[in-house]
Amino acid sequence: MDLVLQLLFTGIGIGAVYALVALGFVLIFRATNVVNFAQGEFSMVAAYLMVVFSVDLGWPYWLSFLLSLAGMALLGVIFNLGVYYPLRHRSFLPVIIATIGASILMANSVLAIYGPQPQVLQGWFDTPGIQLGPVYLDSQYLLIIAVTIALVIFNYWFFEHTMLGKKLQATSQDKEMASLLGISVSTMIMLTFIYSAVLGGLAGILVAPVLFVSIQMGSTIALKAFAATIIGGFGDVTGAIIGGLALGVIETFGAAYISVPYKDGFAFLVLILFLVFRPQGIFGERVAEKA
Amino acid sequence: MKLTRRDFAAGMAAGIVAPHIITRARAQGATVKIGMCAPVTGPAAESGGYAIKGAKLALDTVNKAGGILGKQAELIVEDDQTTNPGIVLAFSKLAAQPDIVGFIGSIRSTQVHAIAPDVLKLGKPVMIGGTDPNLTHMGNQWLFRCRPNDSYSGRVIAEYGASTLGKKKWAVLHSTDAFGTAGGKALTEALTKLGVAPVLDQGYANQSQDFTPVVLAIKQSGADVLGSYFTFENDLGIFARQLRQLGVNIPWVGSPSITDVTALKLAGPALYNTYGVADYAEDSTEASKAFANAYHDAYKVVADGQSSWTYDAINVLAQGINKAGSTEPGKIREAILAIKKFPGAEGEYNFDQNGDGLHGYNVVKNEKGSIVFDKHIEFTD
Repeated sequence: MDLVLQLLFTGIGIGAVYALVALGFVLIFRATNVVNFAQGEFSMVAAYLMVVFSVDLGWPYWLSFLLSLAGMALLGVIFNLGVYYPLRHRSFLPVIIATIGASILMANSVLAIYGPQPQVLQGWFDTPGIQLGPVYLDSQYLLIIAVTIALVIFNYWFFEHTMLGKKLQATSQDKEMASLLGISVSTMIMLTFIYSAVLGGLAGILVAPVLFVSIQMGSTIALKAFAATIIGGFGDVTGAIIGGLALGVIETFGAAYISVPYKDGFAFLVLILFLVFRPQGIFGERVAEKA
Repeated sequence: MKLTRRDFAAGMAAGIVAPHIITRARAQGATVKIGMCAPVTGPAAESGGYAIKGAKLALDTVNKAGGILGKQAELIVEDDQTTNPGIVLAFSKLAAQPDIVGFIGSIRSTQVHAIAPDVLKLGKPVMIGGTDPNLTHMGNQWLFRCRPNDSYSGRVIAEYGASTLGKKKWAVLHSTDAFGTAGGKALTEALTKLGVAPVLDQGYANQSQDFTPVVLAIKQSGADVLGSYFTFENDLGIFARQLRQLGVNIPWVGSPSITDVTALKLAGPALYNTYGVADYAEDSTEASKAFANAYHDAYKVVADGQSSWTYDAINVLAQGINKAGSTEPGKIREAILAIKKFPGAEGEYNFDQNGDGLHGYNVVKNEKGSIVFDKHIEFTD
């Protein structure tokens, strides 16, 4: 039982990271109908910004955190204007390829500046964790889980109870209709990119003290987060959260009870099973072609 | 002017012979050239810089001592881009220069495998740092290794843990790539020869974000010592932290990556009191100390295994050419294989007929973040 509880905590912790990045995927997909393959690099860039402000410049952690998120908001604007906006009237394929290009550009730019060696970023707390009976609770994972829960509540409130959230929802559901109703579609898409970049950045900053700051950290997380969005139901916010958490728990238990080297394999096995038997994901709705 | 048949014949002869004369004259030029493939760009660019520094330091030493065959030695560096196609291209550029008499290859076994066919075709000595045992056992007589191979690291980890630390219940942990699998196998075989069967043989995939299942498996196995082969430092750092957080404090003897500067930085106190095998340890010999001092004086940074093997490679190659008294590849080969008791930064070189110069490892201990030499274990078989 002790083993199960320990694995469950770790699985939920790592799953929460996938969920945060998956949320960014979903929001951009809903707004633009394209998958942003640079979402993982948002996490990586934010973690390096934290290293710049907190480690290199020695600024207070909270200030570095706020500045890093502000930097990510700016990156969201640049990404929207430089990658999505020029291609907005094209089909989804050029936009997807552009996001892959942007992802490579971001990774190599950081590599050129910081080099290939991983960097250390301290966590929020001095205490690395607490022992609760037989289970060790890593303080950073506790924070990640708490932030994920807070974001689920925030997203619900924001999208369901604020005018801006409803405008964003309207834009994602039908851009032409939203435009006819006087909503500035381009502004809404811009805001979506900003929010997604901040969300991705938040995931990167939170996970950096656990996984260290490296060029590969974004792509590693993004691949799992992408799988999580498909499992949860592409385009569904709740699905992204549930999919991320489920993936984290499945791969942790799979590694413990079946095979460690095939840990990543479990995640993608689940993904394949969903694509075959329930392609719309857990929360997605079946889409049928009209005759 | 009328062109006679005699003039034509003389002209043709000169045309045919001239390039050969020019080539030979260049080969017998003012300097003796050594080619080096190094990662100037790519993921290993930082360690590549240290490798070049080590080689240049050795070259300065050689030149101050009279050079090679009475001439100054010159280093020609080509970027291998830290990739296999990159090193094939770099080596082909260097191989096309006939006045280069010997080469420094890669520390990465996979890259050495990539250029091995071209090395065999060229037929000139190439000093390597790749530790895959097969490299010097696949019939390529032109590869000479300046680091101990992985069969020795497994034996040293087993010998130290079982005999010096007196531990019998082993957990063996290794990455599932070529390096980790070969290392784990070597360690398990060495333990078996010592009459010890590991209680856990656990592989893991590189770039794992979480090692909780692995740590819990070690905990449940009841192991009293851990032997490891980690490929990437960030994996090692994550594992080390989780190992300690989950309360596993058994002795740990790891492959060279456990002593790597990056691993020490990432894992911090989680690696305190661990042991590692290291081909280079500053305090292991007088030659190692002398190298460490000279390197620090020259570059103001601490010497490491990335720079020590290239330093030795240049010195061994220079010694081989000088002993051979010629730049003829066959004679250089024979001279390198005849090198015995040569004091290098990595240890004492005694080349065997396969081209392996070193036959043991140093064991070092992490004492509050500092790597301290403990003992050297040498094998004669």
